[in-house]
Amino acid sequence: MQKIKVSLENIRAKIEDFYDEREWHFITLNGVALSEEKTEVQWIFSKYESLDDVVIYYAEIEQNEVVPSIVDMIPSAIISQRELVDMFGIEVEGSEKGLYLDKDSLQMPLSGCSL
Amino acid sequence: MFASFVKAFKNLFKEPQTIDYPATPIVKDEGYRGLIEYGQEECIYCLKCEKACPSGAILFVPVENPPKNEKNKKGLKYHYNPHLCIYCTECVRACPKPDEALWQSNKKPPIGIKDDKVNEEWFELERLKSKD
Amino acid sequence: MKKTINIPLGSQHISLLEPVRFRFECENEKIVAVDSDVGFVHRGIERACTTKFKFDGVGYVVARVCGLCAITHSLSYTAGIEKLLDAEITLKAKYLRVLLLELDRIHSHMLCLSHTCENAGFEAMFMRIMGDRELIMEIQELLTGNRVQFDFISIGGVNRDLSPEVAKIILERLKIVREKTLGYMDEFKNNWSLSLKFKGIGTLSLEEAYRFNAIGPLARASGLKIDVRNEIDYLPFSEIGFVMQTQSGGDINSRNIVRLNEIINSIEMCENVINGLPEGEIFTKIKGKPKGEVVVRFEAPRGELMYYIKGNGKPILERVRIKTPTFACIPAFSHIFVGQNYADAPAILASFDPCLSCTAK
Repeated sequence: MQKIKVSLENIRAKIEDFYDEREWHFITLNGVALSEEKTEVQWIFSKYESLDDVVIYYAEIEQNEVVPSIVDMIPSAIISQRELVDMFGIEVEGSEKGLYLDKDSLQMPLSGCSL
Repeated sequence: MFASFVKAFKNLFKEPQTIDYPATPIVKDEGYRGLIEYGQEECIYCLKCEKACPSGAILFVPVENPPKNEKNKKGLKYHYNPHLCIYCTECVRACPKPDEALWQSNKKPPIGIKDDKVNEEWFELERLKSKD
Repeated sequence: MKKTINIPLGSQHISLLEPVRFRFECENEKIVAVDSDVGFVHRGIERACTTKFKFDGVGYVVARVCGLCAITHSLSYTAGIEKLLDAEITLKAKYLRVLLLELDRIHSHMLCLSHTCENAGFEAMFMRIMGDRELIMEIQELLTGNRVQFDFISIGGVNRDLSPEVAKIILERLKIVREKTLGYMDEFKNNWSLSLKFKGIGTLSLEEAYRFNAIGPLARASGLKIDVRNEIDYLPFSEIGFVMQTQSGGDINSRNIVRLNEIINSIEMCENVINGLPEGEIFTKIKGKPKGEVVVRFEAPRGELMYYIKGNGKPILERVRIKTPTFACIPAFSHIFVGQNYADAPAILASFDPCLSCTAK
């Protein structure tokens, strides 16, 4: 398992260089709450037809930053981005709220902020 | 199509597949996951079963007349809730004396109906335990 | 004046097994756009795993995410924790885990095939396949004690052993199931209401499968060679006789053939496990608390399942992330519907084999 640190400005350029449809398989997006203000966002890829080859790109962001969207390069990322918005309360370009949670339920259940 | 005619003709002479009447009772398997049973004299009150249970179905609570056992220093008593239990036998695997103090039997668990209020006493025990 | 109308395939529908809602925008019977809504059964399991339960009890919580792939969830979580604690388990425990994994795959594929037959109007075949599926459910009850939620795997090995009488009964029953499956393959290839009706409908080409990152039997029916059993080494799949099955059509007929071939391969693997079971213990005691992070992947009956676990030395974990196979395929589903007839929508949906309790965890 290989972890590579990126920042929000150069994540789109890095994924454009790295991602090749025939070689790499995009698994999902993930978020981990590090403290009350910081969250870590991860992009997880794996290689086709090779033994246990997993690459993770990660970035640490504050609660009010906007995460750029990668849907034009990888169309299947739209559903993971909508889940990130619901569960953590951070903004992603082009993704709206309301996949799992209703308006009258507990909001942002997995983020570090106490509710 | 002729194969289905031949098969329909043969089916006329086979015996029916329905169950016998009058009803015969169902034979229970030996490996049936039944209630957990407790032997008080062999228990050493180490409380490992209480920590291992995933759903919190075993509680040791301090009472006024505890059962007589030389290892029972804090005056505790064993309580078990068959409605919270998932019959996974993690407690039996964690116990230091698995066939003498705690084991899984073959008996059928009871049915819980809402009007009987089966969990009222259990909530009292949980409150006593959390005050400790 | 508007040219399109909106028709819902609602959350309550007579041909749906799962609570999902699609809203189709149709122009004269052809579907033009799709809007999907999942999340009717959201229970908040990821948050419960990190606040209420300790790490040795989470294996039982996670198994209750889904009924049809319960064993795959608890196996992935347990394999992740064993990797974090650097623990070794015996070869006999590994073989018993593979046996139950493949039995689970057989009965899940039989459920999907029978539902496809019901959507084609062939009710008699639906009843027959469900009746033969009972043989597998009885085997599972003899092995583990339950028909659906097994509670068979715990950290360090498995909970029950396989006695020789039960092994004999399992081998006899698997022979009966194999004969019947070969009979079904004959029907699915030659009977007109099951093969001709489904050819050319709901196609996904190889290019689109690469672009939308499709997984599971959906991708293997288009020719994409992806199967997690080829890409991991915690369990000895290639020793036991695993072979990847692919087709190249991409339509509903190819998906049915892929599932039937996988059932035959799984029956062979189960027989190899029982005949070659090694000696040894089934459970080893493991101590310690998990620290660090790990990514584990396994092959559920519907595709690739991924777990990300992070611990920091305490009994309660910090993050458990579950990525389920149906969730990752929703963009591919929305793409396949565009351009098809509205009347074919229930049949296409049944061929994807969606499992909504996994999706909306």
